[in-house]
Amino acid sequence: MKKSVVAVSLAAVMALGSVPATVFAEDGAKPYEGVTLNMWMSVSEYQDGTKAVMEKATEELGMEFQVEINPGGTEGDNIIKTRCASGDLPDITNYNSGSLLTALNPKEHFLDITDEEMTQKFDDTFLSCVSQDDRVYGAPFTTTQAGAVVYWKPDYEELGLEVPKTWDEFVSNCQALKDAGKTPVYLSGGDTWTTQVLFLGDNYNVLAKNPSFADDFTAGTAKFATDEGALASWDKYADLVDFYNADSTAAKYEDGLEAMATGQATHWFILTQVVPLMIAAHPEAEENIGVFAVPGDDAENAGLTVWEPNAWYINKDSANTEAALAFLDFWYQEENMDLYINTYGANGPSCIKGYTLPDSVAPAIREDMQAYFDEGKTAPALEFLTPVKGSTCEQITTSAALGQIDGATAAQMYDDDCKKSAVQQGLGWE
Amino acid sequence: MKSKSKKSNLYSFWFVVPSLAIFCIFFLYPIVTSLYYSMTVWNFDSATFCGLDNYKMFFSENSLSSSIVHTLIYAFLTSGLKVVIAFFIAIFLTSKIRTKGFIRSCVFFPNLVSTMAVGLTFCALMHPTKGLFNVVLQAIGFSPINFLGDINLALYSVIATDVWKGLSISVVIYIAGVQSIDKTYYEAASIDGASAWQQLKSITLPLVAPSQNSIIILSLIGGLRTFDLIWAMTGGGPGFATDVMASVIYKEYAYGFYGLSTAGNVIMLVLISCIAFPLQHFLMKREEAIQ
Amino acid sequence: MKREKRRLLIADILGVLVTVIIFIIPFYFMFVNSLKSQQEANLLNIAWPSELHFENYSAVFSYANYQLLTAYKNSIILTLFTVIGLIFTGAMAGYVIQRRNDRVMKTISWVIMLGLMIPAAILPTINLLQKLHIYKTMFGMVMVEIALQTPFTIMLFRGYMASIPTELEEAARIDGCNPWQVFIQIINPLLKPIRATVIILTAVTTFNDFTNPLYFLPGADNTTVQLTLYNYKGQFSSSYNMLFADIILITIPMLILFIFFNKRIVDGMVAGSVKG
Repeated sequence: MKKSVVAVSLAAVMALGSVPATVFAEDGAKPYEGVTLNMWMSVSEYQDGTKAVMEKATEELGMEFQVEINPGGTEGDNIIKTRCASGDLPDITNYNSGSLLTALNPKEHFLDITDEEMTQKFDDTFLSCVSQDDRVYGAPFTTTQAGAVVYWKPDYEELGLEVPKTWDEFVSNCQALKDAGKTPVYLSGGDTWTTQVLFLGDNYNVLAKNPSFADDFTAGTAKFATDEGALASWDKYADLVDFYNADSTAAKYEDGLEAMATGQATHWFILTQVVPLMIAAHPEAEENIGVFAVPGDDAENAGLTVWEPNAWYINKDSANTEAALAFLDFWYQEENMDLYINTYGANGPSCIKGYTLPDSVAPAIREDMQAYFDEGKTAPALEFLTPVKGSTCEQITTSAALGQIDGATAAQMYDDDCKKSAVQQGLGWE
Repeated sequence: MKSKSKKSNLYSFWFVVPSLAIFCIFFLYPIVTSLYYSMTVWNFDSATFCGLDNYKMFFSENSLSSSIVHTLIYAFLTSGLKVVIAFFIAIFLTSKIRTKGFIRSCVFFPNLVSTMAVGLTFCALMHPTKGLFNVVLQAIGFSPINFLGDINLALYSVIATDVWKGLSISVVIYIAGVQSIDKTYYEAASIDGASAWQQLKSITLPLVAPSQNSIIILSLIGGLRTFDLIWAMTGGGPGFATDVMASVIYKEYAYGFYGLSTAGNVIMLVLISCIAFPLQHFLMKREEAIQ
Repeated sequence: MKREKRRLLIADILGVLVTVIIFIIPFYFMFVNSLKSQQEANLLNIAWPSELHFENYSAVFSYANYQLLTAYKNSIILTLFTVIGLIFTGAMAGYVIQRRNDRVMKTISWVIMLGLMIPAAILPTINLLQKLHIYKTMFGMVMVEIALQTPFTIMLFRGYMASIPTELEEAARIDGCNPWQVFIQIINPLLKPIRATVIILTAVTTFNDFTNPLYFLPGADNTTVQLTLYNYKGQFSSSYNMLFADIILITIPMLILFIFFNKRIVDGMVAGSVKG
C-alpha cells in the first residue's frame, strides 16, 4: 500500500520534471542499483525510523544495505577501537560524537566531509563535536538530546508542585512526594550508564559557575575535587539516597521507561532519548511526560545540558564512498528527516539549521526542551568539550548514587581516573 | 642410554610439532610481542616507550587492591565449593541409585549454555523485587535479598552461579576417579566391618586424590582469570564491588589503554603462576605421599 | 535387603527432587518466558504463559534476514574444524609428551600450560593474522581457537595416556611398525573414550565462544550464534521473550551433541586424567 503510494507520487513528481538532479540519473534509473552498503550500528539505532529511511533510499536510489549489529556500551567501544586499529571498518559506521570519537582519531579512518553540500546544513555545535583539526568527519544521525530530569506531570499537579529552578527546591519537592507516598526518584542502577546522567547532566551548572572549567580541566589545572561547582555535582547524589525505588540497584533502563510512562515514579535523571520510547510503549502518556533541566543553585539561570547525537561516519577506504555520500545526502532531505521523526520520534531539537520538528513530536520535547534552546540556556555535556573522560565513570556514579561513597570521595576517585585517561592520551598531566 | 634412544625413536618429536607450532604462532608469539607493548603508551597510531610507567600506574589504580582481593576470594571459594560439592555428588552418583543417568545429565546441562546466557538468566532470577528467588523467599516468610545489588553480597551471588554452571566438569572427573578404584578394597573393608563413612574416609578420599588435584588446579586457575560471568552479571559493579583483575584489565583495554592493559595482563600472569605452580608442586608431593 | 531397597528409593526421589529444583527450574524459566509476550516476560516469573507465543521462535529465526541461519552455519563450521584439529594435534602431542617425559618434553608442557593461565593478546594476534593474510577468515579463526584450547586438550590426552600400558607399543615395534603406524594402529583406537570427552568439551567451548569471534572474525557475514544475543539485548532495550527464545535455539546444537556423547564423557576421565 505504502509502496504504491510512493510509486504514484514519484511518477507524478517525475512527470512534472522537478526531480533534483542529484537524486536521479537522467533516464530515471536508480543510480546506485547493485551497490550494497555495509552499515554498522547498535540495535538501538537500527530501529523503525532508520529502517524506514533506508527502505526509501533503496526504493529511490537503488542501493541495498547490509547491517551489522554492534553490541553497544563498553563492548561496542572496545570492538570499534579494535576494528579501527585493524583497518576493518564497514562502509558506514554509526557511533558517538565528542570525546569517544576523538579517541578513535577520526582523520585516520573516516572520510572528510567538510566540503560536502549537506555539511553546510549542520549547526556549529554539532560540527565542533565531529571535527578534528577543523575538518568534519561525521553527519548527525538524529536530533540532539539532553541529560535532564524526565518527570510525571500528574504528580506535580496533584501536589501542586512547581518545576524546580534550584537544587534545594528539587530536594524539597522530592520530600513532599515521599511524604505523599510516592517514589520521588527513579534509579535504574541495573544499567549503570544511566547513573551518570545526574553528574554529566549537571555540566550547565558547572560551567555557569566557572565558564573556563572545561578548558582548565583538559589542561589538567581544574579538578572535580577542588572546583566548587564541579564538586557540587557529585554532592547531589548524596541528597537523593532516600528517595529511590525499591529495586534501584537492579532496575534496567527498560524498567525505568515502563515505570515512568505509567506514573509509578515522579523523576528520573535520564537522557531524553527515552521520551520517544516511552511514548511508543504508552501513547496515552504523551501529555503527562515533562522534562526539566538538572537544577543548579541559581534560579535565574536554570539551563539544560545537551548531548549531540551519534553520527554517521564513512570509511575513507571504502569502495562505495559515492553511494555512502548519496545515502547521507538523502538522509538530510527534509521529507526524509520528517519520515524518520514521524516514524520513530525525536530526542530533542534538531541540529540541522532551519529544520523545525514536525507536530508529531511530544510536548516534552517540542515545548519543554525547546524553551531552553529558545532562551539560549543550553551548554554541551563535558564529553563534547574535552577528550578526557574517566574510564570507570559509571562505576563511580553508581557507588555515589547508592550512597557507598560521599561526593568528595567520588570526585577524588574520578579525578584519579581522569588522570589515567589523560596520561594514556598523551595530554601531559602531572 | 640405549633405552632412551629407542624411546625417542618410537615417540617421534614430530608428533608434538603441529600442536606446538600452532600454539607458538597463534598464542605465544602475540603474547611475547605484547610484553614490549606493556612498556609503551600505545594507541592506534603509535607506541611510545615509557619504561615501567604502566606497571606503576596499574599498581596505583584505585580499584586494584580490592580487585585482587575479589579475585582471590572468587578463585578459592569457587574452587573449594566445587571440590567439596562435586565430591558428594560423585559419591551419590556412583552408588546404586537408578536415576544416576538422569541426574548426571541434569548436572551437565548448565555447561552446555553459554556464559552470557547463564548470566542473563541468573540476573533475571536474582532480581531484587520480582526475581524468582525472592518471590520464593518471600513466600516462605523471609525478607527479600538484593543478591546482585548489595555490595556485600554481589560477589557471592556470582560465585554461586559460577559453581552452578561449572560443577559438572568436576563431577565427571570425580566419577571417573571413583570408578577406577579397585572394588576389592571395599570388599576387604566390609569384611573387616568398616562402616560406609569409614570406607569413604579411608578408601575413597585418598584414592581420588589425583582427580581431586586436577579439579583444584583447573578450577583455581579458571577462577583466578575469571571474567565472562562477572561481566555478564554485574560488569564489576555495583560500583566496584565485584571487580576482579580480569575485568579491570578488560575495561582498560576497552577504553583504548592498550599498553596499560597489557601490563595488567603480565601482572595477572605473575600472580597466577605464583599461586598455581607452588600449589601444583605441593599437590603432587601430597599425592605421591598417599600412594 | 528390603531396607536397603527402601533407602535407595528415598535417595532416588530426593536426588531427583533436588536436581530438578537446582538444575531444571532455571531452564524451565527460560522456556516459559520464551513463549510469552514482551510485557508478560518482563515480569520474570515462572507462571505458564497466558497465551502461547510460538511465533517468538519464528521471529528470532527470521530476524534480520535469517541471520540466525548464517550464524548457525558459521558456528558449526568453526566448531567442527576446531574440534577435528584439536583431536588430531592434541592426541599426537599428548601421546609423545606423556611417553617421553624427558627434560625437553617437560619444558614444552610447561610452556603450553602457560596457555591455561593467560588470556590471549588481542591486538598483536590481529596484527599477526593480518600479516599472514588470514584475518577475517575461517581458517585464521580456527587456528586461534585451536591455539587457545591446545593446553587443556593436551592435558586430557596426556592424562589418559598414563592409563594405557606401554607393552602393546613395544610389541608392535618389535613387529616392525614405524612410529606413525604404532600411533595410528595401536594407540589411536584406545583413545576413543577420551576423544569423546575432548569432543564435547572443546565443541561446547568453541560454539559458546563469544569474544574471540567478535575480535578475530568480524563482519555481518561472519556472525556467530552468540552474537545473535545482542539483537535482543541492547544498551537501550532488551526483550526477554526473544532473548530466551534465542538462547534456547542456540543451545540446541550442543544439546544434541551432548545426547550423542553423554554416556562416554565419564569414560575418558579415568583416574588422574587431568594432571597439570
